[in-house]
Amino acid sequence: MVFPTVQFAVFFTIVLTLSWALMPRQHIWKPFMLAASYLFYSAADPKFCILLAGVTLGNQAAAHLVHRTEDERLRKIIVGIAVALDLGTLGVFKYYGFFAEETNALLDDVGLGLPLPLASIALPVGISFIVFQAISYTVDVHRRLLPPAKTIDVGLYLSFFPHLVAGPIVRAREFLPQLESARDPRQVAVGAGVTLIVIGLVKKVAIADYLARSVVDPVFAVPQAYSAPDVVLATYAYAVQIFCDFSGYTDIAIGLALLMGFVFPQNFDRPYRALSFREFWRRWHITLSRFLRDFLYIPLGGNRHGKLRQARNLMITMVLGGLWHGAAWGFVLWGFIHGAALVIENLFRGRISPPAWLKWLLTFHLVVLAWIPFRAPDLTLAGDFISRLVHPGTPTLWKVPVVAVVLLVIGLQLAPSKPMDALRVRFERLHPAALAATMAVVIVFVTATVSSQGVPPFIYFQF
Amino acid sequence: MSSTQRDPFILDRPTGRRLTARDAILCIGITAALLIVLKGGSIRSTGEKMDPGLERTVVRAIGAPAGWLADRLPLADAVNSATSWLSPDKKLTGGAGAFDAPPAGAGAAAVSGATAPVTPDAFDPAALGEKPKLLPKLGTLLVTGDSLAQPLDAELARDLASKGVKTVRDAHLGTGISKTDLVDWGQLSALQVKQRKPDGVVMFMGANEGFPMPGPGGKLVQCCGPNWAAIYATRARKMMDTYRRGGAARVYWLTLPLPRDAARQKIARSVNAAILVAAQPFRSQVRVLDMTALFTPGGRYRAAMPISGRNTIVRRPDGIHLNDAGAHLAAIDVMARLRNDFQSLR
Repeated sequence: MVFPTVQFAVFFTIVLTLSWALMPRQHIWKPFMLAASYLFYSAADPKFCILLAGVTLGNQAAAHLVHRTEDERLRKIIVGIAVALDLGTLGVFKYYGFFAEETNALLDDVGLGLPLPLASIALPVGISFIVFQAISYTVDVHRRLLPPAKTIDVGLYLSFFPHLVAGPIVRAREFLPQLESARDPRQVAVGAGVTLIVIGLVKKVAIADYLARSVVDPVFAVPQAYSAPDVVLATYAYAVQIFCDFSGYTDIAIGLALLMGFVFPQNFDRPYRALSFREFWRRWHITLSRFLRDFLYIPLGGNRHGKLRQARNLMITMVLGGLWHGAAWGFVLWGFIHGAALVIENLFRGRISPPAWLKWLLTFHLVVLAWIPFRAPDLTLAGDFISRLVHPGTPTLWKVPVVAVVLLVIGLQLAPSKPMDALRVRFERLHPAALAATMAVVIVFVTATVSSQGVPPFIYFQF
Repeated sequence: MSSTQRDPFILDRPTGRRLTARDAILCIGITAALLIVLKGGSIRSTGEKMDPGLERTVVRAIGAPAGWLADRLPLADAVNSATSWLSPDKKLTGGAGAFDAPPAGAGAAAVSGATAPVTPDAFDPAALGEKPKLLPKLGTLLVTGDSLAQPLDAELARDLASKGVKTVRDAHLGTGISKTDLVDWGQLSALQVKQRKPDGVVMFMGANEGFPMPGPGGKLVQCCGPNWAAIYATRARKMMDTYRRGGAARVYWLTLPLPRDAARQKIARSVNAAILVAAQPFRSQVRVLDMTALFTPGGRYRAAMPISGRNTIVRRPDGIHLNDAGAHLAAIDVMARLRNDFQSLR
């Protein structure tokens, strides 16, 4: 079930009303919300619910076991097995086909005819997010940052529908305390929630999907048919599309949660104004960035043990972070580019200090270029795409609305935040009826831009 | 990356006042009410277009009264005219050229019961031992259909980009010949030909078929018997006739590789039989490419098959569509047929 659809609007209206009606009776509210979230997830495929329940019960068992165990070595073994099982689940569904095909190709190349069986396995929606949140719960219990929660709370944490399929990646210790008591019905951030939903809808439907349809999809599918001006436009347009698509999704997710009384962490903070890759990762997919930091980079040693070890840790973290997005060499290359940029920044930090405009220019364009292997269907096509960046020709896709949208989105990220924040706060303070009327008008106009083929899934649904 | 940085929360930034849960429900309720008044008709038609299931039942249950209410108020029309300029689509149902439009010419003769004469177009020169008539240049190739046409369209476009061929990729996801609520392919094919004037048309569709269609007398005919196949073939034949442009173009119609699901296999077999029958009067210009034999020989579904001696996955996990490797294989077949027909590709 995609957020900007009639189905979801009906679902959410019913669930929101019943949720607040049942909220004072937590023993009824929790099973109700769990059932609603599983119903939401079953819209993709009811079979996936079995997997979700399995991950929940497996991690809950591990959390209880590790909590009861005193022996540190045994605790480590238990949490290690739990994390391995989580990652194994992710591996089977997400990476098996890629691994089997690549291994078979390698075996063929060296003359060993021992092929692994191939299977076309359906990727459960949002599995990467579910598994990461499950790991966060078990590891936080192991680190004694929180005690094991009730099974129904863990089930709710992993399945809560606003963040179920594409994040933000909410840590167990951020979400579970919010389940300890009923949400206060007198303290609901209605204005903030509605504003985020409205902004998210505009970003996803009116901007991201429009750019995808008009420029990005045609050029990335057949770069050979386009010359430099169109390929350049598609490069910038994709940078804007993926930002609006993903941040639009998380805006809606966070807004829905706010209306239900739950607060999520921020996931984006104007990433294209970053002056370095380090800063970019504090602004882009913040919840993934901190997960990788806390569960991979720091356990690997972080910035301890010298520059060389730090460089190694950064590369491992970013390459695996790239691979988390999907089983394709393009994601690996994207992670490698970001890792290499972070390593180079570390090497030169404090030695040279270029002006801010130059730092922005370099960071922004490297980030934009790194999106090419991320978006291209494969590395060959990414190469074709890059080669067309210098292929002279006349523009065929440069239309005023497309260019205006690209410039507007990038420009808004560079503009001072105070006037925008002031405007947003004024909107958030409107009377609920005025908020509702604005939301209805925006929905009417935004849905008018949807093609007959419907709203395409969010890009991060596939991850 | 530093572990000491503080994790930002969404309400850390300046925000508006806190309201009550009642306000939240009121806000969503008013929005829903306004949308029912302003877009009730759209909610109703969304429900009608959805695939059968619980979601469709719920949306239709709300869409019916919402549409009824919207029909009786003048607001919906005003909203539609105010926002129609934003729509990326052209209206492609129920107009001239549509499947349900009154037939003309030979079509009218067929409907009236008169026997349509067999023309020379019904004979593939190769079947008569003659040299096929080559067309000089493939200038524009239209690759169209439903979701099955992707990523085949991109594969062909890439293959042909260096040969000076303009490839028009025009897939219409979720559509079907047997369902006209979203797109009427009779009308769409006429529009495509009028706008693009393609020298070649590659058609690959059938992932969304099996819907009941009105038969002679207007009675709905259920899938997948001979009556349903006959209506499907009539519609497909009309499209083939449009795409062949009186002999000026060549049409490459791909049959369906059998899907994994048994119920869908039944539909696919009916569709494939209908395609073969539909193409009969135009054998000199319409090529039917057998994807069943290529991907599912012996009528057995397989997710992987040997390509260049290496076992490769060719289907997507849904068991219906071809993946990139499968589409590449299909594209090789299409390219071979194009080279047979166009001098410029030789």
